[in-house]
Amino acid sequence: MNSGPVPVLQPRPPADRSRPVATRPAWQAWLEERLGLPLLENAILGGQMPGGASLWHTLGSVAAGLFVVEAVTGIFLSLFYAPSVQTAWASVAYIQDRLPLGWFVRGLHSFGSSALVVVAGLHLLQVLLFGAYRRPREMNWILGLVLFALTALFALSGYLLPWDQKGYWAKLVEATITGSAPVVGAALQQVVQGGTAFGNLTVTHAFAAHALLLPAAFVVLTALHVYLYRQHGPTPKWSLTPEQIAARTQPAFPYQSVRNAAVCLFVLSVVLWFVASHHGAALESPADPTSSYLARPEWYALPLFQLRMYFEGPLEIVATMIIPGIFSALLLALPFLDRAPSNRPSDRKRVMAAAAASVVALGALAALALAKDARDPAYAKARAEEETRAREARRLAEKGMPAEGGLAVFRNDPLNHARDLWDQRCSGCHGLAGLGGDKGPDFKGYDSRAWIRGFLENPEAPLFMGTAKIDRGMKSVQGSPEELDALTEMVYAQTGAPDADPAKAARGHDLVDQKDCDSCHELDGDGENAGPNLKGRGSLAWVEAVIADAGQGRLYGEKNKMPKFAGKLTPAEIEDLARFVLAQKTAI
Amino acid sequence: MSGEAPDTRRAFFAMLTAGLGALVGAIAVVPGLGLLAAPLRRVIVRGGGQPLRVAAEADVKPGKPTRVTAAGEVQDAWLRLDHVTVGSCWLVRATEGAPIRAFSTVCPHLGCGVDWNDKTGKFDCPCHASSFDLQGRCLSGPSPRGLDELEVSLDAHEVLVRYQRFRTGSPKKEPIG
Repeated sequence: MNSGPVPVLQPRPPADRSRPVATRPAWQAWLEERLGLPLLENAILGGQMPGGASLWHTLGSVAAGLFVVEAVTGIFLSLFYAPSVQTAWASVAYIQDRLPLGWFVRGLHSFGSSALVVVAGLHLLQVLLFGAYRRPREMNWILGLVLFALTALFALSGYLLPWDQKGYWAKLVEATITGSAPVVGAALQQVVQGGTAFGNLTVTHAFAAHALLLPAAFVVLTALHVYLYRQHGPTPKWSLTPEQIAARTQPAFPYQSVRNAAVCLFVLSVVLWFVASHHGAALESPADPTSSYLARPEWYALPLFQLRMYFEGPLEIVATMIIPGIFSALLLALPFLDRAPSNRPSDRKRVMAAAAASVVALGALAALALAKDARDPAYAKARAEEETRAREARRLAEKGMPAEGGLAVFRNDPLNHARDLWDQRCSGCHGLAGLGGDKGPDFKGYDSRAWIRGFLENPEAPLFMGTAKIDRGMKSVQGSPEELDALTEMVYAQTGAPDADPAKAARGHDLVDQKDCDSCHELDGDGENAGPNLKGRGSLAWVEAVIADAGQGRLYGEKNKMPKFAGKLTPAEIEDLARFVLAQKTAI
Repeated sequence: MSGEAPDTRRAFFAMLTAGLGALVGAIAVVPGLGLLAAPLRRVIVRGGGQPLRVAAEADVKPGKPTRVTAAGEVQDAWLRLDHVTVGSCWLVRATEGAPIRAFSTVCPHLGCGVDWNDKTGKFDCPCHASSFDLQGRCLSGPSPRGLDELEVSLDAHEVLVRYQRFRTGSPKKEPIG
């Protein structure tokens, strides 16, 4: 076969039905008679490749293959995703961190979409290079551009769905740009985001668009795209003569399809490498509409992001609407503007130059945007802070999300819960680094050596007991720096700190008697005296005991002025508060 | 391109296309099947399990079952709710001074909520008409077993119930979740 010239535009004739039935298995004959399989087989596999199969012609099929991967992974993800402000981030964090292989499927979906943008872009460039947009393929060129726009809309709508910081802010900027369009902008924005402000309907609308509307449109238009492609056939390379084209023509199956499958697998393996090395797609902390997030779009929108930098104020619309609008209009009109005599790139120098200039300009704009951020220490700091915050949020989400969802995840942190308690119950009297009340000690650096040393040197200082107005309180400890160091270490060791120096603490212990500490302080744990018993002072249990009832004999006894919190707070709350106080040791 | 060679080549490429295509498909589908199977291997909704306060002891009158709800922490996929209804049960004291027993309101047949019928002195399932006596024994209807009894404990004149769910539609009382 294929020895003679094959007419370019004609599909392979239907499979030969005149073969004796006996050569086919009975089941095949049975099915063929009922389903007309040869017709279907011809529709799917019957294409011809005039001029022969090539890697150039794989890109459309690879894009289609990636779309199938997106569809399959998307369906799996939709089984676990819940579109609402309260549940979006929580369900994505659940997929990412708690479902086995959830990170993998989500990563494949996310990096796969980037690959789809790349492959669709290369497909567009290949069509430009081969002149495949030219007569009679103008409509298919336009269909292809619409499909490319749909790919972009897929990416935009999908980016928002996790309702994390990057999705929320990128989408907010895009929605505002939509709203700035003349005449229809405001109404369009309101319809797309489901109201005048971001909320639940924004998520449901984005999800419906991403998972129902766009896939339906994409599948129908892709079918039309393929239909027209089969109608016109592929465009052979410009350098081939009609004789060469005829002589080299091959059936698309399997000669082109094997290349399609191989390139698709290659692209997918690159995607897999990204998925594995990034442990799936990024998930930032839950969207916080009150934060000052350094919003950046996904990589393929960076050129537009950078372009906007050059147009300020009323000129902004030049970057957001006019330049992209003119660019799109030129692309759409290209087949009608191009009057070159042949498909040869040398006959289409202006088109080739414009295409090359566009690619360079897009690349340069993206590079400028990346370079600017790479040089900006404020950007690096904001990224680092966001990464810490995201890690913390995802760790806390594993304890189960509160019903309010999103930012409420931070309430899972006992220290945050304790901070609320602190603000309500403690900050009236106690300060933290000078903020708060001044009727009791300030807890900045509490239990650190510096804090203890400062206390020993001057217990009546304003940040220690000075403002507590205790009659006949503790006097400053007098001694050499070495002696004070040793006493500090002795007290420090009582907190249970693992880095306490036992030898130095033992030396401090010997000084207790000499410095007359023991006339007010016991060291046995139970003994009562004028000052608190120092055994375990500053440990979790000790701080809990102080919060519960600081007036116990072994603690501050009759001199105590702090209210008793046992009964007012639950033991768990007291523990949280004590941990909060102890966390001030290293807090900045 | 004629003779034997192209046909062998063609068959080889056809097989290769199928193989590579299958690999692409497997990459998309297989990890997803792992996701799909996740609910087989882990408990998604969890609640109750520990004794929950449902009523004061004095509120349970002899011979007259009381319907109470147990509230506690529920874990549901990503969600954790600290104080929501975990389930409801009937508290029964057969006679004055008899111990309090608790029966889940979930009918062991197909999971409808059984109701107490004052006139007949029986528990009736509104869906398929199973009925049960005060001891939870199935008297009539399609239920494969009697009402599911829950563990009851007392703490300072408060009734505590350890709420659990059981597989419905089977003669064996098997806890789920």
